[in-house]
Amino acid sequence: MIRVEHAGSVTRLTLDRPEARNALTPEMLDALARAASEMPHETRAVILRAEGPVFCSGFDLNLCRDDPHGSTLARLLDGLSKAVTALRAQPCPVVAVVQGAAVAGGCALLGGADIVICAADARFGYPVTRLGISPAVSAPTLAATVSGGSMRAMLLDPGLIDAPHARRLGLVSEVLPDAASAEARARTLGEALAAKGPGAIVATRRLLQELSGPTPRDSRAALDRSLGLVGGPEERDLLPKAWAPRPGR
Amino acid sequence: MPDPLTTTTRSGRVATLTLNRPDARNALSVDLLESLNKRLNEIESDSQSLSVLILTGAGKSFCAGMDLKAVLGDNALASDLLTRLALLTLRIRRLPIVTIARVNGAAIGGGCGLACVCDVAVTHDDSKMGFPEVDLGVCPAVVAPWLVRKIGPGAARRVLLLGGLMSGSEAAALGIVNHCVPTLETLDEAVSGMAARIAQGGPRAIAATKDLLNELDGSLDESLLRRAAGLSASVLATRDAQERLRNRLGA
Repeated sequence: MIRVEHAGSVTRLTLDRPEARNALTPEMLDALARAASEMPHETRAVILRAEGPVFCSGFDLNLCRDDPHGSTLARLLDGLSKAVTALRAQPCPVVAVVQGAAVAGGCALLGGADIVICAADARFGYPVTRLGISPAVSAPTLAATVSGGSMRAMLLDPGLIDAPHARRLGLVSEVLPDAASAEARARTLGEALAAKGPGAIVATRRLLQELSGPTPRDSRAALDRSLGLVGGPEERDLLPKAWAPRPGR
Repeated sequence: MPDPLTTTTRSGRVATLTLNRPDARNALSVDLLESLNKRLNEIESDSQSLSVLILTGAGKSFCAGMDLKAVLGDNALASDLLTRLALLTLRIRRLPIVTIARVNGAAIGGGCGLACVCDVAVTHDDSKMGFPEVDLGVCPAVVAPWLVRKIGPGAARRVLLLGGLMSGSEAAALGIVNHCVPTLETLDEAVSGMAARIAQGGPRAIAATKDLLNELDGSLDESLLRRAAGLSASVLATRDAQERLRNRLGA
């Protein structure tokens, strides 16, 4: 469900589960982390993209049914944190291209990207506290991308923001009219990045990581905060909403 | 009995705390801060049954800032007022529920600082916001940490050193408010919609998230705020500040 394609100096990582709006499973997150840590020597840039009309709708919470201790949700949170960390730790710049929506875990995944391009229809946000889940795990990478006030609003207000708003916050660097033009732009950027001096890119990314974080300690603290609620009374109470039919859907 | 300086209303898990000194554009006096502290006592002790606190102002303004007229020429009183404001901002930030600033009309100086302390701020295009402290010879020290955390150090430097006022839409472009609606008339709809969707969240999930955010950005550093209040008081006590304020306030 994660497709890895190496084409010359650009590697494409594709979320390939469009029938489920690319909902993330523990296996997909493990595969992303593995792909990031096993980048071929020739790769100079990475494109993170998704099949279908929606980039990613977040965790596949259907997997969390009949799991009173929340071990699957804990695996998802841990896998997300590891995948994002692995994408940031590997040496090549990552361009993510978002169409439709990047919500909850899907929005968190963008923390692994250096540059985010989106289509005009894209929506972003963390509508997860209603399920008893804390989006704290995303805070450290979000803090390295947007202002403190924007991060606070994104994590405490579960409303989604549209593409121009995301552009204004700095979450997204370019908004293109549609998915095809966003893909094309990401490809162009990937090729442009691949042509830069590899040593310069590696050193610059490493320095930026040092300057803006997150530190491993912050990442761990944030993950722990999200994990701290897993299997607790509130989450056991609210999580079933995830698979209850919603009015208007 | 005089009108209370603050009022609280409740609707489900949403409380609204209103600064109620409209004749003085809700300027922050010692009495008003004391009244706010009492309201916060109630909200803190009731926080289990709350998810959202909306902070707003009665009348035409959200808050015109510190009541400087009342402390002119009295350095001890000024210092007391600044320390009280600093500690009040910390109390608001520490609440385990989501705070929304509903910025109506004007939020100036310490009033704009109150908006920045809240987790989310919403205003309308033609409101007046900003930090004109330096124009008055005053140092915006108490609000500075909150503005830096809200919009980042580069933008905060520009805003605090240039002083003056801006419109709500300009404040939104800078990130001082998170959302801006076209008119005052549409503000309530935006704020109540936001409050309703936040209130659907699990209280523990909200509190855990907010606690981490406060930890990451150093929000709970009380000694920094006390030092800031001291710095602001010392600048306020200078002859330049006192003269500028006298001229400006016509006192």
